[in-house]
Amino acid sequence: MVLFIVDLLALFAVYLVINIGLNIQQGITGIPNFGILFAVAGGAYITAGLSTRLTLALLGIQTNLNPVSDNVSVLQLVNPILRSQPIIAISLFILFLMIGGAAGAAMGLISSAPAIRLREDYLAITLLAFGEILNIVGQGYTPLIGGPPGVNLPDVLAWAGEYRFYAGSFVLLLVAIAIFAVADYIIKTPFGRTLKAIRDNETVARALGKSITQYRTVSILIGSTLCGIAGSLWVIYSGAITPTLARFDWTFLPWLMILLGGMGSNRGTFVGTLIFVTLDKLIIYYKYTFVGILPFDIIWLNYLLLGLIAILILIYRPEGIVRETQIKQRPSPESKKFSQG
Amino acid sequence: MEILQVSSVKRAFGNLRALDGVNLKVDDKTVTILIGPNGSGKTTLLNVITGFQKPDAGHIHYRSTEITGLSPQEIYRAGIARTFQIPAMFGKLTALENLLVAEKNHPGESFTKSLVKRLWIKHEKDAIEKASKILELLGLTEQSDKLASLLSGGQMKLVEIGRALMSDANLYLLDEPVSGVNPTLAHEIFARILGLREKYGITFFIVEHRLDIALQYVDYVNAMASGRLIAAGPPKEVISDPKVIEAYLGA
Amino acid sequence: MELVSLSTVVAWLTYSAFLSLMALGITLLYRTTKVANFAHASFVTIGAYVTYTLTVAFSSNPYVGVPVAFILVGIISLLLFYAVLEPLRRRNASTVLLMIATLAIDVMLTGFINIHADYLTNAYRVPSRNILLSGSDFRYIGQPGILFVALGTLAICAAAIYLLLNFTTLGIALRASMENPQLAEAIGINVSMMLAISWFIGGGLAGIAGALIPLWTEVNPSIGTILLASMFCASIVGGLEQIYGAVLGGLVLGLVDVIGTTVLASIIGPWVAFYEPVIPLLVLSAILIFAPRGLAGINLRRGKQ
Repeated sequence: MVLFIVDLLALFAVYLVINIGLNIQQGITGIPNFGILFAVAGGAYITAGLSTRLTLALLGIQTNLNPVSDNVSVLQLVNPILRSQPIIAISLFILFLMIGGAAGAAMGLISSAPAIRLREDYLAITLLAFGEILNIVGQGYTPLIGGPPGVNLPDVLAWAGEYRFYAGSFVLLLVAIAIFAVADYIIKTPFGRTLKAIRDNETVARALGKSITQYRTVSILIGSTLCGIAGSLWVIYSGAITPTLARFDWTFLPWLMILLGGMGSNRGTFVGTLIFVTLDKLIIYYKYTFVGILPFDIIWLNYLLLGLIAILILIYRPEGIVRETQIKQRPSPESKKFSQG
Repeated sequence: MEILQVSSVKRAFGNLRALDGVNLKVDDKTVTILIGPNGSGKTTLLNVITGFQKPDAGHIHYRSTEITGLSPQEIYRAGIARTFQIPAMFGKLTALENLLVAEKNHPGESFTKSLVKRLWIKHEKDAIEKASKILELLGLTEQSDKLASLLSGGQMKLVEIGRALMSDANLYLLDEPVSGVNPTLAHEIFARILGLREKYGITFFIVEHRLDIALQYVDYVNAMASGRLIAAGPPKEVISDPKVIEAYLGA
Repeated sequence: MELVSLSTVVAWLTYSAFLSLMALGITLLYRTTKVANFAHASFVTIGAYVTYTLTVAFSSNPYVGVPVAFILVGIISLLLFYAVLEPLRRRNASTVLLMIATLAIDVMLTGFINIHADYLTNAYRVPSRNILLSGSDFRYIGQPGILFVALGTLAICAAAIYLLLNFTTLGIALRASMENPQLAEAIGINVSMMLAISWFIGGGLAGIAGALIPLWTEVNPSIGTILLASMFCASIVGGLEQIYGAVLGGLVLGLVDVIGTTVLASIIGPWVAFYEPVIPLLVLSAILIFAPRGLAGINLRRGKQ
């Protein structure tokens, strides 16, 4: 049971980061990024691909073994060292996150090329298509993550011993909440306000001197960096990866979560993610009780139920649970005096 | 002294010659209106001046600097502000925020600078103060924190003007600022425009149909028809000009 | 030139026929309801499984699936229109919300498809993944029958749509609903019904395409998803606003994809074949960046004008 909660929190953390990234693009700036899988996969695969190499470099180990194709053997060498060197392990952890972020940003940069040129619908189609690219590359280009069987990562959480997953979950949550706080701040700045203005009325924003291209690009970069970091967090926690990240999990579900929570509201994203991840995990946890009742495999229950829920939300409550927060700006004391005079 | 000079500007849409060689000038620190029947090219002219459309031929000068073909952003930064005929709000932002977006050169709008609050908080506070004063000037203080999409049509028009005022521009191009607004409020708006001209030396170039209201506040009238300027001068002169009367009756 | 063999040309034409059929439906739906239908992927997959189910349950000729799939997927599409798209349309839902809706529909249908596939395996003790029926295909002048059937079906469908839209009262009403729904409504056309009919046809077209797929390539519950990028690419290349552009788009994309891969593979190396799925994306990007007007000259760009 405890492990169930630990896993739930880890999943929540990962999705929270992704959803914040998506919300900044779609909810705040109005960019329908249906291809966030691209950035998530970028973060996940590139982190995984480079993880063992970097660990070897940092630990100063010379070996003839190939970090990817001889992955298991190399890790047998490396993991025990990491277990006893928490400082190096944590440094690696931070390094991995940075790689994930950079990878996500790179994917975001690629995605921004169509995003600054195309209309909503064409953009959505294009970005959706982009999403699948890395799975193809990951499966075909073996040196990346070893093709279809994938790779394991050096266990940078090994120092926690048997509490590895607890520590992992805790660290992930920490990162997620930090990112949530930063995102919250950013949205409330004049920068965030300008993003919203561009979303609400691009023509007027242009008339007021805002460079639409620049803002949209920055928005995508921020969102994609976050998605990349999330991908990184995911592979670190799981310890292994195969090039099979699915659009259902990493594109449809995030959209469903921000829709549920209320697009545009950072707090809504938090709420939507929490509710959804909890429900989803509960369904999976208790799925065995459904086994006899339903005439089909419960895996598909997910698809049916979630598709239906999404449609119901769209029809009956498209604004979601939490309405977009109004940023209250109080007039300064001097003006107040003026109006009373 | 001329603040705006439009020379032989042409703009066609397919076979339609919306602007057929427009020659027009606006004097500094005046309130000038542009009149003309529907389809005479008034809004197209505004669009061309403010960079939303490029002219096929001709030049536009702002204080002897050529601004032909610049982007809307560059025009705005040069000191020209415009409003739109149909009020265009940032629907999910408050009235105050709508004005704040218009603030020029706000350090907080740059992503990198926004991360360090100290770099922009003072400018933001000043901007809020300025915006609040403008809202007060327009009688909108109570709507400061209201979502723009929930404002009434007349209130939106006022926010539109308020947003233009935030820019500290020297030349304001207003596109039908009082259409659909009740007469009392319309008079109030024009009176305030006049007041601003008196106090700050701002130039207004206004497209307007409501001559019954506007005429008493303006210094000069420019009349357009079929993509050309057909008369320009003080109000009494222009409205009794036979060409103008014909254009209006003939339309 | 030995780089391009007869079998490559056959592969190109067959692939293109499929792309065009699928793109035809997508473009039709886009023109009428202004939404990019992500559920088209599932529609196609359902068609494929209709054929397979019929061969398994009734030992029928695989081609029998075509009319059945047309009707079945057409009806499913129609029902989904009334259940999901129409309520959203009446609420003036934004483009993005409509797209999420079609994505959600796709997700649900994927669930159903998988459940059905599992059922087939359990009830009939047959595999339901990685199915290929090309073995039961006939041959004509030394080439697989599917080549002719696919091309022939495409020709018939394109002609049928042309006749429908240009020579029938229904067709004119449909076109009016596409061009100017408000005006159409004002002159008494039941726009809602017209849209529903277009969804029936669009879905039906996807069903037809899907029904023929098992004779051409391996089928899985994810076949539609795999082909989604290609079918959209074909639509866009042809110009999403021109229904017949879909045919052109299918041909062009098929050409670039099949012939392109073959030529590159013989020049650079066989490993190129692995990256074939990336080709539609490259073509899509190239078109959207260098010729944003598509082949039919429509403005895909953002903002004014």
